[in-house]
Amino acid sequence: MRTAATVWHLTRRSLREAVRQPAQEAGNIIIPLFFLAVLVGAIGPIAGDSFGVDNFMGFQVPVAILSAAANISVSAGLGTITDIQRGYFDKLLLTPAPRSAIVLGRIAADGVRTLAITALIVVVGIAFGSGFDAGPGGVAVLLLGSFGFGMGYSGINAAIALRTGSPQAAAAGGLFFFPLIFLSTAFAPKEVYAGWLEALATANPITYILEAQRSLIIDGWDGLDLLWGGLATLGFGAVSFTLTFLALRWRTS
Amino acid sequence: MSAIVAEGLTKHFGEVRAVNGIDIEIARGAIFGFLGANGSGKTTTIRMLTTLLKPTAGSARVEGLDIVAEARAVRRRIGVALQEAGLDDLQTGRELLTLQGRLFGMPGAQVRRRVRDLLEIVDLAGAADRAVGGYSGGMKRRLDLAAALIHWPSVLFLDEPTTGLDPASREAVWRYVNQLCAEDGITVFLTTQYLEEADRLAHDLAIIDEGRVIARGSPADLKATIGTDVVTVRVGGPAEALDRAAEAAAAVPAVERVQRADGAAVVYVPNGARAVARIVLALDEAGVEVGDVSIAQPSLDDVFLQATGRHLRAGEMPADGGAA
Repeated sequence: MRTAATVWHLTRRSLREAVRQPAQEAGNIIIPLFFLAVLVGAIGPIAGDSFGVDNFMGFQVPVAILSAAANISVSAGLGTITDIQRGYFDKLLLTPAPRSAIVLGRIAADGVRTLAITALIVVVGIAFGSGFDAGPGGVAVLLLGSFGFGMGYSGINAAIALRTGSPQAAAAGGLFFFPLIFLSTAFAPKEVYAGWLEALATANPITYILEAQRSLIIDGWDGLDLLWGGLATLGFGAVSFTLTFLALRWRTS
Repeated sequence: MSAIVAEGLTKHFGEVRAVNGIDIEIARGAIFGFLGANGSGKTTTIRMLTTLLKPTAGSARVEGLDIVAEARAVRRRIGVALQEAGLDDLQTGRELLTLQGRLFGMPGAQVRRRVRDLLEIVDLAGAADRAVGGYSGGMKRRLDLAAALIHWPSVLFLDEPTTGLDPASREAVWRYVNQLCAEDGITVFLTTQYLEEADRLAHDLAIIDEGRVIARGSPADLKATIGTDVVTVRVGGPAEALDRAAEAAAAVPAVERVQRADGAAVVYVPNGARAVARIVLALDEAGVEVGDVSIAQPSLDDVFLQATGRHLRAGEMPADGGAA
């Protein structure tokens, strides 16, 4: 109960912080939508003939969602470093609140921010023809999944922030997203990839998260895709939270 | 039971011995001053006592609770305002205090009342709903103090609470600290590099240098250990002139001791007003060019000088509020 209450209070604080920095939040929204528009505009017309993806907008909406989550978590990592540098993180540590909950508050806020931007991206996608085959229930599952991924990805940047205390390192943390997304099925089905890239995409958890989200948008309900996507999200979160709590232990020891 | 007891408290960072076996015992309801220069180990000590750092060796209890084994219980009983007012610029003063209260487990209605009262006490009621980022340095310090008091702590740790403040804000902080001690019975552990602050506030004082306590007692008792007046003679000319000045002054009858510090000969002598003429005459006869002479009652700086051979350089309070 104490942990849940602490997470709740600190999640509210982080969300207030996001609302009060609209320029930063605008960047988190505009950048993924910009890439969505450019990719669909550039590759969409040939995607059907080249690799059999007729609904390229639907194919790309999950990429925009994961990009938004990555952007959000970088800004949250910088927020954690600001707290550390200003001494506010110490002030939080000086309360009897569970220390894990102090970190989870900001991570949960990242999940909520990802969820909100996901809703916007889905609306934009539908407006420009992606459709949503799994219907409103599918949208709810997608929002839940993006909330989970947002928290999981935030853990990586929280770990970097806690371990280094360096804004440069936190900003560089965003670079992790590039290999993760480029070595997945972000831009085409893996069947059209060269053998080495197909092998890497098969081993990459991001591939399964993208496929699960795509299945909801393009194909409707596909239990197996959702199962793999859910497991990949949980696994990703487990690794990132482990890193976060190890970094927290290092910082507070 | 004492409010704070530390035995052999030690903290090493690799090869650096930041705090080296500190023993202190602080009575409940006292204002305890921890005086030392920058880098002497004050902040490391306070970070250990407030559970932010684990000691390398030794132990300490706050309100009878072990700072390592019962850290969370210690945190419930202490309020802490660290050197850099640890605040969040994007929250308003009211939001920041409210969050702090909720993290201490206080119910909503109680927090709202407490926040309103504290904002009045620290003269921030008018700025309560403005973002903290727009506060002045003095306002931030007062808000930080209010945040430290939100849960009615029995021990308050203040790490250099007036560094960088203008004289009016400094006076306000001193007034709050005295009030807290006198009216609420709170024990205050205060680190400072300012001699005047230590002298005016502390009932009991420890002087720390290079991680060790080098003197302990009330400010009056510590100054009484000097036992003489202090005549400071600034000397012109080459460096050797200071050596000649010290030798000549030491030869004057009744002079108990002479120390060299910062280009001056510091002469300890009973009844300095009567001795000063003889000292100046002796220096003149020794061919020393006397620049400036002053006579003073012993200060805490003299206690520090006697113990370490150095002045506590940062010990003069800036009149304009700049950091010393």
